[in-house]
Amino acid sequence: MQEISRPVRITLPLAVAALFCIGWEAAVRLTRSHGLLPSPTGIFASGVEATSSGIIFDAMSGSLKRVILGFVIGGVLGVPLGLAIGTVPALDRALRPVLDGLRSIAPIAWIPMAILWLGVRGDAALFVVAYAAVFPFIVNAGLAASLVDRHLVAAARALGASRWMIVRAVLVPSSLPMIFTGARIALAFAWASIIAAELAIGIKIAGQGRSVAGIGQLMVETLYVKRDVDALVFYMLVIGAVSLVIDAGLRRLQRRMLPWSAR
Amino acid sequence: MRAVEPLIGIAGVVVAWEIASRVAANSTLVPPPASVWKALVAMRGSELPKDIGASLVHLLVGYTTGATAGLLLALLAGSSKWLAAVIDPFAEFLRPISPIAWIPLAILLFGVGRAVPMFLIFYAALFPIFVGTLDGIRRVDASLVNAARSLGASRRTVAMRVILPAALPSILGGARLSLGVAWMALVAGEIVGGDAGIGWRILWYQEFFQMDRVLAAILIVGALGLAADGLLRLLQRHLLRWHPATESAS
Repeated sequence: MQEISRPVRITLPLAVAALFCIGWEAAVRLTRSHGLLPSPTGIFASGVEATSSGIIFDAMSGSLKRVILGFVIGGVLGVPLGLAIGTVPALDRALRPVLDGLRSIAPIAWIPMAILWLGVRGDAALFVVAYAAVFPFIVNAGLAASLVDRHLVAAARALGASRWMIVRAVLVPSSLPMIFTGARIALAFAWASIIAAELAIGIKIAGQGRSVAGIGQLMVETLYVKRDVDALVFYMLVIGAVSLVIDAGLRRLQRRMLPWSAR
Repeated sequence: MRAVEPLIGIAGVVVAWEIASRVAANSTLVPPPASVWKALVAMRGSELPKDIGASLVHLLVGYTTGATAGLLLALLAGSSKWLAAVIDPFAEFLRPISPIAWIPLAILLFGVGRAVPMFLIFYAALFPIFVGTLDGIRRVDASLVNAARSLGASRRTVAMRVILPAALPSILGGARLSLGVAWMALVAGEIVGGDAGIGWRILWYQEFFQMDRVLAAILIVGALGLAADGLLRLLQRHLLRWHPATESAS
């Protein structure tokens, strides 16, 4: 079978997608379920409305703020801990069961306790995000630290480097690629967690007329109060688009900062 | 000394927990270890088995259907360049949308209930298995396939006996990766849109401010997650024991 040519490769899925959308729209119209089931025109209309009213930007910025903050907290806590575990085997042995256990708890499960400790405003969601983000950092930093080339460490020590200098000049740089991979995983987890947390908080306070703090709460509002199916699908597409952009951004950053390591 | 170190870690956490609960002096805010243990025992005699059972049903139904769909789609995509050219972009388009984002739509379409977590797991399992299988299929040694064909094997036999086993390491790798996401999707789905299962039960206890039960249920979620990953690792080791590159530690 010869290779499919490039123009066909691009147009074929587009053609199929167009046919699919036309068929979808027709099916919804024919069964008179416009408004009950999502449809391409409905989604487009909701999208226009959401962007022009600005509500999608408010919600997104609220969620993104917490994602980034939680991500940073996870990194600040997780990287040093991971590096420590990777370099001190006794610490690894002592903390491994505890960390494995805590890591297996789906972050969203903590929502009830987080709400109790931190209230419904938004810090509970931040807790869940930070919790989700910290473990990929710990795991990857630990793995990277344990894989540091012993020769490099020995060479540094032979040249008279202090322990702190070894950490700064050997341990951290050689661990960076794997930590970066951990960062990408952490960001993906953080993003999924913020939505889950906001959804869970949202259903607790649905209909109370509080201002929308994030995209998750916006979706709950749309689900239970406005019942707008098309808007829901539009928000989902936005969520997907944002996570693509975030990951692509991190990947580009990795390529720029650590050109020898990026895929 | 070596064997004791893990116990030191665990003991340290429990001690810190006990101190925190004494400092907080509010058993609702920080349930002390003892009351969580009591709650666990009480739950074990009443709702816990039912809740765990419900969650496991969600997981199994969703995961097997999602994995089967992912496998079939990958086989389709792997068998024809044209089908692949059509399926791939759709997969790439849907992949960044995390299963969690589907929760509100799933609630709207299926209503609050058991279908929501099952659908989420279906979706969470589909993509990694699809990608892992497709990857594995594309890497299958062509000479193996040709050998089987020249011995007279039908297309189906080739698919089942040659391609799938050769792709198995990649498939199982994808499965283990997807389990973390699937587990999170399960708990989130049960909390937000379910009416059964351990995730839903956490919210139930919280409604009644039985925080010791909440914490006990949270620990159960962790234990189940650990068990699921361990099982998958065992499965991986067992199914791939004939494979020369099977890693002994993971």
